Amino acid sequence: MQKLRAEGSQFTDRGTVDYVIVGVGSAGGVLLQRLARAGFKVLGLEAGPFWDTEKDWLSDEAGSNKLYWEDLRITGGVNPISLGANNSGKGVGGGSVHWAAFTPRLHPSDFQVYSLDGVGTNWPISYEDLKPYYELLELEMPVSGPAWFPWGDPHGYAYGPHPLGEVGDVLVRGCTKLGIRVCAGGPVAILAGSHDDRPHCIYRGYCIQGCKVGAKASTLITHVPDALRHGAEIRDYSMASRIALGPNNRVEGVFYFDREGTERFQRAKAVIVAGYAIETPRLLLNSACPEYPMGLANSSDTVGRYLMVQAGNVILGRFRNLVRMYKAPPAHALTEEFYETDPKRDFARGFAIQTVGPLPIAFGKQMMAAMGAWGWGLRRVMMDYNHWSALGLLGEILPWHANRVTLAKETDQFGIPVAHVHFNLFDNDKKLIEFGKNKVMEVMSAAGAEQVVQEQRYAHLVGAARMGADPGTSVVDKFGRTHDVPNLFICDGSIMPTQGSANPGLTIQALAARTADYLIMQGERIFRSDLRELTAPTPRVDLSPAGTFRKGIPRPHASWIFSRRIAHAKA
Amino acid sequence: MSTRPSHPPRDTDTHLPMEPVAQPGYYPDYDVISQQNAWDDATRKVVLSRLQSRPSLQFFNPAEAEMMLLVCDHIIPQDDRDADHRIEIIPVIDERLHKKRTAGYRYETMPPDDEAYRLFLQALDLMSRHNHGKQFSGLSWREQELILQSINKGKPLEGAGEVWLRLPVHQIWTLFVGDCITAYYQHPWSWNEIGFGGPAYPRAYIRLERGEAEPWERDENRYDWEAPPESVSDLDELSHHDHFPHLTKGGVHD
Ligand SMILES: Cc1cc2nc3c(=O)[nH]c(=O)nc-3n(C[C@H](O)[C@H](O)[C@H](O)COP(=O)(O)OP(=O)(O)OC[C@H]3O[C@@H](n4cnc5c(N)ncnc54)[C@H](O)[C@@H]3O)c2cc1C
Ligand code: SF4
Repeated sequence: MQKLRAEGSQFTDRGTVDYVIVGVGSAGGVLLQRLARAGFKVLGLEAGPFWDTEKDWLSDEAGSNKLYWEDLRITGGVNPISLGANNSGKGVGGGSVHWAAFTPRLHPSDFQVYSLDGVGTNWPISYEDLKPYYELLELEMPVSGPAWFPWGDPHGYAYGPHPLGEVGDVLVRGCTKLGIRVCAGGPVAILAGSHDDRPHCIYRGYCIQGCKVGAKASTLITHVPDALRHGAEIRDYSMASRIALGPNNRVEGVFYFDREGTERFQRAKAVIVAGYAIETPRLLLNSACPEYPMGLANSSDTVGRYLMVQAGNVILGRFRNLVRMYKAPPAHALTEEFYETDPKRDFARGFAIQTVGPLPIAFGKQMMAAMGAWGWGLRRVMMDYNHWSALGLLGEILPWHANRVTLAKETDQFGIPVAHVHFNLFDNDKKLIEFGKNKVMEVMSAAGAEQVVQEQRYAHLVGAARMGADPGTSVVDKFGRTHDVPNLFICDGSIMPTQGSANPGLTIQALAARTADYLIMQGERIFRSDLRELTAPTPRVDLSPAGTFRKGIPRPHASWIFSRRIAHAKA
Repeated sequence: MSTRPSHPPRDTDTHLPMEPVAQPGYYPDYDVISQQNAWDDATRKVVLSRLQSRPSLQFFNPAEAEMMLLVCDHIIPQDDRDADHRIEIIPVIDERLHKKRTAGYRYETMPPDDEAYRLFLQALDLMSRHNHGKQFSGLSWREQELILQSINKGKPLEGAGEVWLRLPVHQIWTLFVGDCITAYYQHPWSWNEIGFGGPAYPRAYIRLERGEAEPWERDENRYDWEAPPESVSDLDELSHHDHFPHLTKGGVHD
């Protein structure tokens, strides 16, 4: 796989950079790349390591824990969510290192959930605002998928789909039997054919352990190399502890602990926090100061609130024939047939059904949860591992004021207070989960499973620093600028006001590209002026990493790229 | 270790104890380790290191270690494996607790993991004393099995009520059994047992559908067995389990 390098340090603590980005994950990687290409002095502080993928990553389940955020967090509430390996990464690339890389877009309805359904909230932007960025990022990762994706805003993918593994076959069989439309081979940010210096997928099934092959997109290999080539710097093992507010209500820089555990300070003209839905609010809360006693940029008391996870029940079916679900990427087939609100159901919004492919340890724990397996029963069901197939529910849980991140009394290895996460399910969520899980069980049975069990769990995180038009009920505006502090931005999964039933990664990266365009359009004004310009930037197609834009075969419904191509040809 | 009582599974037809073997499971001559030359260096190193015996325990004291051994023999019984092919579970847990590695979170209702483990062992002794007047290690295998079963069902036998106030039954069980699963199913011998293909970089898997075997994998060769009669942990014992949701059509609404 391609060689990666972290350049030596070029900015010093004493100098001032244009932007410090806290967290080089899915969003941080894209921001760093865009801003560097546009010529800004940009520095990424990343709490985890800069990976040497050939040495650090393994084809091994138990050996891959270091990819996840394993520092302490406290989790509670009526329905406490598990964290760590279940939803948060650490190290350059962040969650995109260990994601399964499903990359569906949100549906147009997701941006106006409150107007349409009277629940949740509306976004301050529409699907059309984000669509050009979806199309760009689908080429930059790039995304493999079917020629025709029928749900939401129907579209097709420029790169061909993957062959099916047996789990995908199970989903297609079950859906077909029940007359449910299903889509196979993607959309997933995994190469079905080689692409520049990246080889194609070898179907080894260890996506969640980090793709050593380089076939699965992570910002570590899609955007960070381009960022470094354009002068960005990344300091790894650098844990931001506090953002410093200076005079005139502007932030001055970031305190962080370096790899030796020494506290340092980096000056910056503007700061972008991209630490994801738990660490972002934690950092803001830990940055409380006399001007913002409830936490930096938290005059609305919204920082930490409206945290969301998606219902991620795993439905397991035992088949008479062998399945061997460890083969092929876990992510390779899905249906969004139940995504939208259906007035015939007794709840708002909906869910998707997707393939998953738990490896033995994960499967064993699922059997413990789903069947109460232990002792000889556990040994017996594990001996049948190769007969089981797994499908995942991906259901929309609504944003609730009470679901939030606060600070715990415990501290981490640097002495920084850790996050406390409080999570409850509410009525709509419970009804949706009940209906959705039964539907997936039905699909599993229709595919021919002779026994079907399920485990209730959650996937993904978003929210906790949401964007909105009203500074009284949101933390950032539609470009990620905090309502309170003009040169402080947030750009990661935490700014999403609702989440739909799509995996969040593509949307997070698309939002990052859009914020970058805004910052680039605003130029020096960000560093000097308090004026809040709210005009949307024109999407920049010249900032994609080399060799991505205008590659692949565009589909008729990739309308925006198509029209660009024509415009380009005319020029 | 050699003095551990043996409770091997039985042959379903004859109900006689089965002879322990080097490799139980339905893939008798499958050997994933023989494929090590097809693995990348970093992975090979980590996987093969699991075949070495681990350094001595640093977290558990000798008494705790002895008790852990007893408990783990119930959670992941290995009496179908011969003495040379048992998978060590406690050293893996010991290392995690000693190095204070966590899963990245702790339930607000749970004490830190190291404390949780010690409290759990205490709870077992308290339950044993209350119900049988002896510590856990003095109980018959069956009595031990019933104590653990009651915890798995979320309704622990009496005697440790005070501990459960500080240690939610379901959460500690999940943590404990989860750690045992991690230890056992990371070992390549367990991959042989269940027919798991293991590492596949850089070689790749090429037969993706219908559960077909790669040229170097094995087809399944099943045999029937039943758990020893003194055990209550086999799957059929779980049918009364509270969260055993066999698909019932009644639960499905359209
Ligand atoms: C097992 C698994 C499977 C998944 N599968 C999918 C999928 O198929 N499709 C999908 O779309 N999504 C998937 N996700 C979710 C996806 O990975 C995340 O939603 C996404 O990566 C979040 O992006 P982000 O930029 O907001 O944060 P991240 O990518 O998590 O990046 C945040 C970064 O900030 C760093 N950081 C945090 N705090 C600090 C600090 N104080 N100082 C310095 N650095 C800091 C972190 O180390 C991290 O690298 C999956 C997640 C998991 C765990
Ligand atoms: S299945 Fe494909 S994408 Fe996933 S880890 Fe293996 S090679 Fe990478």
